[in-house]
Amino acid sequence: MRRAVVTGLGFVTSIGNGKTEVSESLRLLRHGFEPVEFLGNPRIPVKVAGTVKGFSVGSPNWRDWQYPSRYRYEPETLRSLSPHGLFALCACDQALEDARLLAADLGDGRTGLFCASAGSPFLLCHHLKQMEAARGERGSPMGMVASIAGTLNFNLASFFHIRGAVCGFVSACASSSHALGYAADEIRLGRQDRMLVVGAEEVFAENVLPFAAMRALSPSADPGTASRPFDLRRDGFVATGGAAALVVEEAGTARARGAPIYAEISGWGQAGDGHNVTASHPEGAGLAEAMRRALADAGIAPGQVDYVSAHATSTVVGDRSEALALKSVFGAARPAISSTKALTGHALSMAGALEAAFCALALAEEYVPGCAHLEQPDPACEGLNLPRASAEGRPQVVLNNSSGFGGSNVCHVLRRVAD
Amino acid sequence: MSEALSSPNIQEKLARLSPAAVRHYSQFAAAGKDEDLRALVFEVLKYHLPKTLAEAPPASWKDEARIIEDLGFDSLAMIETVFFVEDLFQISISNAEIIEVHTVGELLRFIRSKLAVCKS
Repeated sequence: MRRAVVTGLGFVTSIGNGKTEVSESLRLLRHGFEPVEFLGNPRIPVKVAGTVKGFSVGSPNWRDWQYPSRYRYEPETLRSLSPHGLFALCACDQALEDARLLAADLGDGRTGLFCASAGSPFLLCHHLKQMEAARGERGSPMGMVASIAGTLNFNLASFFHIRGAVCGFVSACASSSHALGYAADEIRLGRQDRMLVVGAEEVFAENVLPFAAMRALSPSADPGTASRPFDLRRDGFVATGGAAALVVEEAGTARARGAPIYAEISGWGQAGDGHNVTASHPEGAGLAEAMRRALADAGIAPGQVDYVSAHATSTVVGDRSEALALKSVFGAARPAISSTKALTGHALSMAGALEAAFCALALAEEYVPGCAHLEQPDPACEGLNLPRASAEGRPQVVLNNSSGFGGSNVCHVLRRVAD
Repeated sequence: MSEALSSPNIQEKLARLSPAAVRHYSQFAAAGKDEDLRALVFEVLKYHLPKTLAEAPPASWKDEARIIEDLGFDSLAMIETVFFVEDLFQISISNAEIIEVHTVGELLRFIRSKLAVCKS
């Protein structure tokens, strides 16, 4: 059986723009939140966000953007990117360097690209306003490819000359988890030898405030406690963005070229709630089934799991259903559980790939991230192992949960690869 | 032109190019001199270059310079330039018209003829 392993990671996140900084943040439970004011309106009840540092991309014109000097891109590349497309490109560059690959290696036809983002409502809104002002007679030729859902795969496939499978995934906050799961399948089924998996999002009024309209965001103004998954006083999620990139390879191919191996993606599963367009199932039925299917796919028993990277976003309803799902799957087994969204915020469609990358880091660097900001666990969490601090150790098997609108649930199983 | 000149959108677009572009635009609007149009179009082309220039200042671009082969433009940069020029001069350029434009000189003459049609 062909096995899929993770060989490269790249991060542009609220808690660091590179794996060293990210790992340190996860170990020390250092959050990435800052006070924000959207649309210059202090009355908006969204006061903090997981901001991306080192990038200035608040203009719809790419010529105004500033980004870290270690990256340099030509106008022909930048002109069709959205802000999160730039984050994604930077994360891909890191992941390739980390995997000891060159951009030119990706054009071999045996490499595919799976991406996930919600597109750029910020840029889409700008281009549509411009088109309306011209009464439909003119529009920017880059408006569409830079802003619609799929913008990541359009741009990255072109930039890296990808000739293998190219696809985008749209399942809201489970999107990049689907991308990673299906990428692992491409390799396990022998369709590709290598996959680049990328999730990215922006932190602008246009894509964040719609969640406030749903009453899903925390109104808290305290960056230190606004995001507190599983805590009794949680009151909504805190938004974040950035990009996460993973290089996934067939194990033999990776070994043959002496690539560093973080972990194996040994299985994954998905299941729908069949319940509600926004709210998760009250007992987390779909998420529990996704976890069971992932474990069965990987041939792992619940008792073998050392750590679960929970989806828990810090909403009242969602965290409770996940807690119940975890209890139903694990019973007497008590893996450590935490949600790193307490540190990063909720990265929306990028969350699954980001947190899978965190899991890969934890496996390779031998630690388990703790539950930041958790003081009074919700009684629904009774019996779950929610360590407050990160712990050094050698986790062997970890699970990564994601859930999206419509009750779309995905779970990955990542496993330590024998030295 | 005077109406276009007063549009904040146009002024904003010009300001992004360079102070020289703003000056040449105003002078061209006032006196209609070829040298101002030429200097302005150079600035517009420079702004839309798909690749960073090693050196070669745009002033060295002769009228005979081919926009794609010599200046390194691709089809998307061409379309962006057309969009910009349409906005700048408040003219409408069809695909059939633009595929006839290959050199810097042809682009200048084309804009000239379009403006003449608009005025008449």
